[in-house]
Amino acid sequence: MDYMKRNRQIANSLYNLGLEKAKLRDLTGAISCLKKSLRFDKYQMDARNLLGLVFYEMGETAHALTQWVISMNLKPTDNLADSYLEEIQRKPGQLEQESQMLKTYNQALWQIQNDNEDLAVFQLTKVVDANPRFVKAHILLALIYMSNEDYVKAGKYLYRVLQVDKNNPKAQRYMSIVKQNTGREEVEKKKLKNAFSHRQMEDDDIIVPPEYKENTRWGSILNIIAGFIIGMLVIFFLVMPANSKSLNTAHNQELIQYSQKINDLNQQLTTKTEEYDSLKIQSDQMTEELSTIDAAHQAQLQQYQTVIQLIQAYQGEDLMTTVQLYTTLDISLISDQSVLDIVNAITQEMTTNGYQALEELGTSAWNGGNLEQAVAYYEKSLEIKPDNPGVMYLLGRVYQQMENEEQASLWFGKLIEEYPDSRQAGQARTAMGGA
Amino acid sequence: MIDFDEEIARFQPSLEVEEIEDAIVKADLTDMTDIMIQMMKGLKEE
Repeated sequence: MDYMKRNRQIANSLYNLGLEKAKLRDLTGAISCLKKSLRFDKYQMDARNLLGLVFYEMGETAHALTQWVISMNLKPTDNLADSYLEEIQRKPGQLEQESQMLKTYNQALWQIQNDNEDLAVFQLTKVVDANPRFVKAHILLALIYMSNEDYVKAGKYLYRVLQVDKNNPKAQRYMSIVKQNTGREEVEKKKLKNAFSHRQMEDDDIIVPPEYKENTRWGSILNIIAGFIIGMLVIFFLVMPANSKSLNTAHNQELIQYSQKINDLNQQLTTKTEEYDSLKIQSDQMTEELSTIDAAHQAQLQQYQTVIQLIQAYQGEDLMTTVQLYTTLDISLISDQSVLDIVNAITQEMTTNGYQALEELGTSAWNGGNLEQAVAYYEKSLEIKPDNPGVMYLLGRVYQQMENEEQASLWFGKLIEEYPDSRQAGQARTAMGGA
Repeated sequence: MIDFDEEIARFQPSLEVEEIEDAIVKADLTDMTDIMIQMMKGLKEE
């Protein structure tokens, strides 16, 4: 049929136009032509496959896949779409990544339509970084920056869009606004004006070469000075900051190293201080123990001296001195068995005769007015021989004289209780009654 | 100047990969030849 042939011809022409536009990177124009081509002939596989390719180039992967799948359905064999689909599916994870990008773009669009601009910018930046050809994401991001009056950033993203799709109408419209706001429009206008302000040369025009001038002496000097000044300025503004920065970095590194060393030393100091404290505590304990031992030794030594004096007095038959020394003796501090044997022998003697000597000493001290000494002697005498009601009575009396009624009553009471029929018990009753 | 909200409202969500199947099913593949055949049929019936 003639009209079918005509349709195919129109479709082919539109495909060719679309192909030309695609080659010139007018992708939006190409899409328009290719869609029209397919309206005339849906079996124009080249147009459909190219349409998919253009969509893919603009980051519209899903649209591209749709066209290629339709293409494969309409012509299952010997179809270029097959290789495109295979290429996308060949790289593992690529399709998932591109699918994720489309989702992120849609989320960002939803965020911006619901006034959550910051999150949208974050998501779109991620998308355009991952896919620098995603035209719609770039335009949306540029629009957000424009609304924030950050025209420089907006211009950067729009420039990228126009690199991919030169005649993208939305990008062009936004770019013109960006140029107006950044002053770029004026610059371009001037450039354009200058480009067309040159007149064409005619045959009679003569090109006069620029005259060569010999440098004078002053000119040379001035040039040298100017060169020197420029050199100094270069050093001051370019070399010095770089050197300063490098030195600062080196100093900072040194500072960090020193700080670390100081930290290490501080840690060591803390450890040493703790060790010192621990050792000091041990030392104090040892000193204390030593003092105790020393004191014990001193006491022991004292006892041994007493024992020696005691033996001398005992051998010299000086019973009073023997008794006196015996009262100061602490047998528990004597550990030497031979000395203990001697002391035990003396103790035996004391038990037999010593208590009487002590009683005499006590009475003598009492008579001398030394009541406390008398108490000490009497008590010692009672220690050697506790069943001595005479000494108990005397002790009570001394306490009575010392006005220590409590002790006096104690001893009198004891005497009366233990020896009720003794003469001293009667005297004690009298003394208590008299008191 | 541009109206930001108006511009944003013009942006449509991009077709996602999961939606391809649905897009293919709903795709209108009618071309000029189909329309003409339809028209010819209609004329013959009349």
